[in-house]
Amino acid sequence: MNAEALILLAPVVALPLLLSVLALSPIFNKRALDLLPVAPLPGLIAAFLVPAGTVLEAPALLFGLRLEMTGEGALFLGFASALWMAAGFFARAYMKGGRDLAVFCAFWCLTLAGNLTVFLAGDAATFYLAFTCVSLAAYPLVVHERNVRAMRAGLVYIVLALIGETLLLLGVLLAVAAADGILISDVRDALGASGDSLTIALLVAGFGIKAGMVPLHVWLPLAHPAAPTPASAVLSGAIVKAGIFGLIQFLPLGSDAGTWGQILMAIGIFGSWFGILVGLTQSNPKTVLAYSTVSQMGIVIAAIGGGLEVGAGAVAVAAATLYALHHGLAKGALFMGVGVMQKIGRKGSGYVTAALTLVALSVAGLPLLGGALAKLAIKPPLGGGVAELLVTASAAGTSLLLLRFLFLVQDLRSKSNSARPPLAMTLPFAAMGAGALVMPWLLFEDWSGQDLAYAFELGNLGTALWPLLAGGALAAVFVGFRPRRLPAVPEGDLVVPIEALARRGMAAWRRGAETLPHAAPEVRRPLLAAAGLWLGRVEGRLANWAVAGTLMVLLLLAMLLADRLLG
Amino acid sequence: MNAAMPILLLLCPLIPALVIFFLREENDRLRTVINLGSALVKLLLIAWTLEGVARGVEFEYRLEFVPGLYLLLRVDALSLLFITLSSFLWLITTIYAIAYFRGSENLSRFFGFFNLCVFATTGIALSGSLITFFLFYELLTLSTWPLVVHKGDDKSIAAGRTYLIYTMAGSAALLLGIVWLEGMTGPIEFAGEPELDELSRLSLTVIFALCIGGLGVKGAMFPFHGWLPQAMAAPAPVSALLHAVAVVKAGAFGIVRFIYDVYGIDRVAELSLGLPLAIVASFTIIYGSLRALQQTDIKRRLAFSTVSQVSYIALGASLAGPFATIGGLVHLVHQGLMKITLFFAAGALAERRGITSIDQMEGAGRHMPLTMLAFSIGALGMIGIPPVAGFVTKWYLGVGSLQGGYTWVLIVLAGSSLLNAAYFLPLLYRAWFMEPAARPAGEAPGEGPAGLILPAVVTALASLAVGLFAGFALSPLGWATLIVEEQYTP
Repeated sequence: MNAEALILLAPVVALPLLLSVLALSPIFNKRALDLLPVAPLPGLIAAFLVPAGTVLEAPALLFGLRLEMTGEGALFLGFASALWMAAGFFARAYMKGGRDLAVFCAFWCLTLAGNLTVFLAGDAATFYLAFTCVSLAAYPLVVHERNVRAMRAGLVYIVLALIGETLLLLGVLLAVAAADGILISDVRDALGASGDSLTIALLVAGFGIKAGMVPLHVWLPLAHPAAPTPASAVLSGAIVKAGIFGLIQFLPLGSDAGTWGQILMAIGIFGSWFGILVGLTQSNPKTVLAYSTVSQMGIVIAAIGGGLEVGAGAVAVAAATLYALHHGLAKGALFMGVGVMQKIGRKGSGYVTAALTLVALSVAGLPLLGGALAKLAIKPPLGGGVAELLVTASAAGTSLLLLRFLFLVQDLRSKSNSARPPLAMTLPFAAMGAGALVMPWLLFEDWSGQDLAYAFELGNLGTALWPLLAGGALAAVFVGFRPRRLPAVPEGDLVVPIEALARRGMAAWRRGAETLPHAAPEVRRPLLAAAGLWLGRVEGRLANWAVAGTLMVLLLLAMLLADRLLG
Repeated sequence: MNAAMPILLLLCPLIPALVIFFLREENDRLRTVINLGSALVKLLLIAWTLEGVARGVEFEYRLEFVPGLYLLLRVDALSLLFITLSSFLWLITTIYAIAYFRGSENLSRFFGFFNLCVFATTGIALSGSLITFFLFYELLTLSTWPLVVHKGDDKSIAAGRTYLIYTMAGSAALLLGIVWLEGMTGPIEFAGEPELDELSRLSLTVIFALCIGGLGVKGAMFPFHGWLPQAMAAPAPVSALLHAVAVVKAGAFGIVRFIYDVYGIDRVAELSLGLPLAIVASFTIIYGSLRALQQTDIKRRLAFSTVSQVSYIALGASLAGPFATIGGLVHLVHQGLMKITLFFAAGALAERRGITSIDQMEGAGRHMPLTMLAFSIGALGMIGIPPVAGFVTKWYLGVGSLQGGYTWVLIVLAGSSLLNAAYFLPLLYRAWFMEPAARPAGEAPGEGPAGLILPAVVTALASLAVGLFAGFALSPLGWATLIVEEQYTP
């Protein structure tokens, strides 16, 4: 540890936390939005200046808090900070004059602090702290609009986030208990040596919820559209990536984890197609984008699955990182584009549409655009064969899906023909879009181990191009036939029946609780209501000392019996 | 000085108790000075002792009150953990109680017994032998009863009766166990290694069940927890005292003492008594949470939450192994800080805005932001959200149970976390994210006097700090680690 680490790494966490408190103070109350672009600045600086391997330790905090810059961490930190900053500038213009801005800004900064700390955490406890901070602090962002739709999205979000946190804690505890220490590297090594399935399953589920892994993705298509647009941009671009980064950090990539590699790959590829198919049925452009995120993250998860093999770790990590970077910037740009579209009239919207198309094509992998390089890098971990073919072909679906987005987003244009969005909104949008197109070019050689010339090989150009052409052809067919109606899949797909079930269960439980303590017995009673009632009855009986005493004696007898039988 | 220290620590609450009993009711100022003064003096003495114990100084006092029977007071690391917590919270609760009861009646009676209660708790912490422990334990029962019935209405009287029946029966079981045990071995001191080999497995098992069962009554362990939710009829400062400072804690502390300093971990393991206790504790954890979920009254919900949370301490003790032990011990402090925060806040809500049930909480965050902020920190801590104190407990209990091979305990911890979330988060949701109902006329404006609001804020910050600075050597975690290293792992 040295002074440089302290000066550069500590503010990455400390400044957003400080600003989070300041946002609520009366001094900044009116200008809280101005704090947003500043908060991620130390993160951006650190990503460029701090060399990999730098460590900052604070033994008195938590169980020995440790921040550590890793190679992939720096990249995640860099693009996430850039996106948070762009979205911060965007929010300053977009949210101006809204309600409860101090609270919004406070939680924005808190979420940001957690999000960036995830990429720097060197020990498991710090990681878990940061991850939880992201999950919980993002709730007020999701429900900021306070309408019925936002509240419902918030409920689904928080329930899944809490389940995810709990599963993750169990996974982390299992992993830590089996390791020598709480450093993530120790934990990963121990997991690689044991290959314990329960631990891996819990970690995958915990991180998967955040990363939008099907079937745990259901919060995502509800929350992303319900949140204010700048928040959607960071949710989809940066926060989802915390889950991906967790998978990279904790899973024993590069060692043999049995069938887990295949399982993850199958889940990922299934998700990439599932996202596309359900997304196509949506009519809200932001929901379409959310499903596109589900699909794209499926591809990353598949690549991570490919890394669960001896010798395949480094390639998979690098590929997933590059892919995540491109997706983060591009998806951030697309969401901000939605916001720009809302503020622009028919006149001049052509430029925005063109920019959106370019970014969308990059996501679909059009040669020469950044996304094509990311797609090229992610092929090797997939290991060829059916997996690679399915991922390649999914680009056709992606192009179709994003065409639908481009079509839907036109409806959002402002009624007033000459409306102009402020520069403060178009610039962050353009910057993120340009970043998505350019950054992979700068990073490709280092992060894929290939020459840039590899990208220009005819075969590679062909594999990148044919799905796009297929997607275009499909779209033409689609428009030509004009099907009356798409099958109606509600936003959040699987969550709808589950919600109904949960609501009935809750109602039954409550009925059981309300009829306490001495209700007349009813003839028939749903199971949960009966359970609720039964619990109350138990309590009533226990109020009688004799019953409690008898129970105690019985327990004692059971103990003695067990002792005799076992001893 | 070393022999006098335990006596001084005991006198700190005893003298004010005796003086206040004879104080005239309207002598508010003097009463306040005595209350706060003695609490502050005690904290100073504790700081002195903490430093001494950390250096290895022995503080011990012996008094032969019947030939061959000693009253033994002794300060060790474990007693300091408990005594530091109770004294800190005593000071805070006193400040809160003064604001809470401003202008009401029978205050000399209240604060007299309040101090007596703290005296008994201090005695329990300092007890160096089983019989000394029992004496103070009984005194605690008796001195708490006037507090439970303080309001004097039918509900309070009924609650007081239930409290006495439960605790007296528990004490009877405890006494039987102690007499049986000491009848065979002679007086048992915690510092020595009792010779228990003369007793048969059968009698050891029965004695264990009698003593743990007896202690479990105050510790609100299933099926003996019934008195605690009823005692909610008492005013908020008393609830705080019952749940965090004295009574429930005394039971849990007793269980820890009994397992580690009377039987010893090895013997408990050899008799295979740890597992049944762990099962009962786990069941209590889940049962308490489920019952909490069914309550609509805030204080009752909190009461069942205590039933659930206190069993973490017994769970940690029963699982043995260093990590689980640390987790259990540290929860003694953590649960106290978090729960007292919740009760302070609930009391302030009821006092200022008449909020007693969950569906009245809409918009409470806007009217009483500081109170609700404190409440939120406490609630998040109970769920186990880092960096609040509860997370540290869960982490150590989780790792400890895995080290001991009890993987199923993880399911209990996870279930408890989710249930805690299910019964706390709806409160926070109502308070922060729902619009407040129209203000009824004649309601007190503003959040309230500092004495009512700040105690909750202080304890909330404390529960945040003990989690955030858990790695600090003098944090509860650091101290619990010291106890485990020095005393239990040779």
